[in-house]
Amino acid sequence: MRNKRGSLAIALAAALVVLAGAPVFSDGIYAAAAAASAQDDWKKEFEDICSKTQDSMSFTPDELKSLVGRCDALKPRIEKLEETQRKVYLKRLQMCRDLLAFVLESKTGK
Amino acid sequence: MDYLQRIVILLILLLASFDEADARRIVAPHNYGRVIIANYSERAGLAPVVFNHWVHRAQYTCRLCHVDIGFAMEKGATKITAATNKQGLYCGSCHNGKYTYNGKTVFASCSGTTSRNDAVCERCHSLKKNSDNEGEFKVFMEKMPRKSLGNGIDWEAAESSGLIKPIDFLEGVSVQRPPIKAQKDFSIEANVAWMSDVIFSHKKHAFWNGCEVCHPEIFPIKKGATRYTMLEIDSGQYCGVCHDKVAFPILDCQRCHTGAKY
Repeated sequence: MRNKRGSLAIALAAALVVLAGAPVFSDGIYAAAAAASAQDDWKKEFEDICSKTQDSMSFTPDELKSLVGRCDALKPRIEKLEETQRKVYLKRLQMCRDLLAFVLESKTGK
Repeated sequence: MDYLQRIVILLILLLASFDEADARRIVAPHNYGRVIIANYSERAGLAPVVFNHWVHRAQYTCRLCHVDIGFAMEKGATKITAATNKQGLYCGSCHNGKYTYNGKTVFASCSGTTSRNDAVCERCHSLKKNSDNEGEFKVFMEKMPRKSLGNGIDWEAAESSGLIKPIDFLEGVSVQRPPIKAQKDFSIEANVAWMSDVIFSHKKHAFWNGCEVCHPEIFPIKKGATRYTMLEIDSGQYCGVCHDKVAFPILDCQRCHTGAKY
């Protein structure tokens, strides 16, 4: 019985806070969450592309062209990172791209 | 011209032909593959960093550092700073005070968190400081298979016999990849008739380097499409990017030129 009363009190308090428009989650928290999500996005894409370099000889020219295109699309997103991360990941992305383009060239003879 | 005069002239000629490239090759085994990193250290009041390849290659593949962590293959080109280390990049990928290797925590880089001239800083910023690189190398070398030249260790045999197990993946830094499918070995025809062809092992090289260390930056070529010479290799191109600096030197001809010629 005592537990039930306690839960009811908490629920009422929470409802009052929401109705009163109290900023339970501030804009800053939303912004930080969005930024973290955006960071994860570029890194996931980076990891997905660069995880394929060791298999690159088994891809078709079209698959390789698509991967090179994804590298080019990712580059501007990495360029927006802060200086040190940008420097490291641009170089790493360039190495992936160069290898994929190299394998593509060796397959197509261009 | 008597015998003595001939000897003197020969010695003079030898000395005259002894240039920087030759001097580079006469390195004590414990200093072979040593890199002095002095981009910013002195300006920050610290001694330049002495990086010993032998310490690191016993524990990690070349690929892990030169691809995943992103160290350039050219001396001084990475431009490592305290800020990059502090953010967990470059040296700070492992030297962060958290990463463990063989159950031991790897010491953190001194990235503005420790006082200057601290013993921690001098573990790396050690040029002209009291470090026992030679003694540590001798202890390490005692257990390793030997081979001539370079730092006298047969790294390939050390790896294949399990004496060293270089790590190729660093959590939070490396990308998960499937195991590499090494391309077939092939022969590279020697440019001169008296020299045996090179039997190039993709398998041996791919274990340490993966694909991206060599292609396309060092070898932007298709097999047989470009001919490169020992002079180019000697000047630090192609095989010479690693061999003569960290991997065994090119003076050891028959470690590469193993093909039957006659």
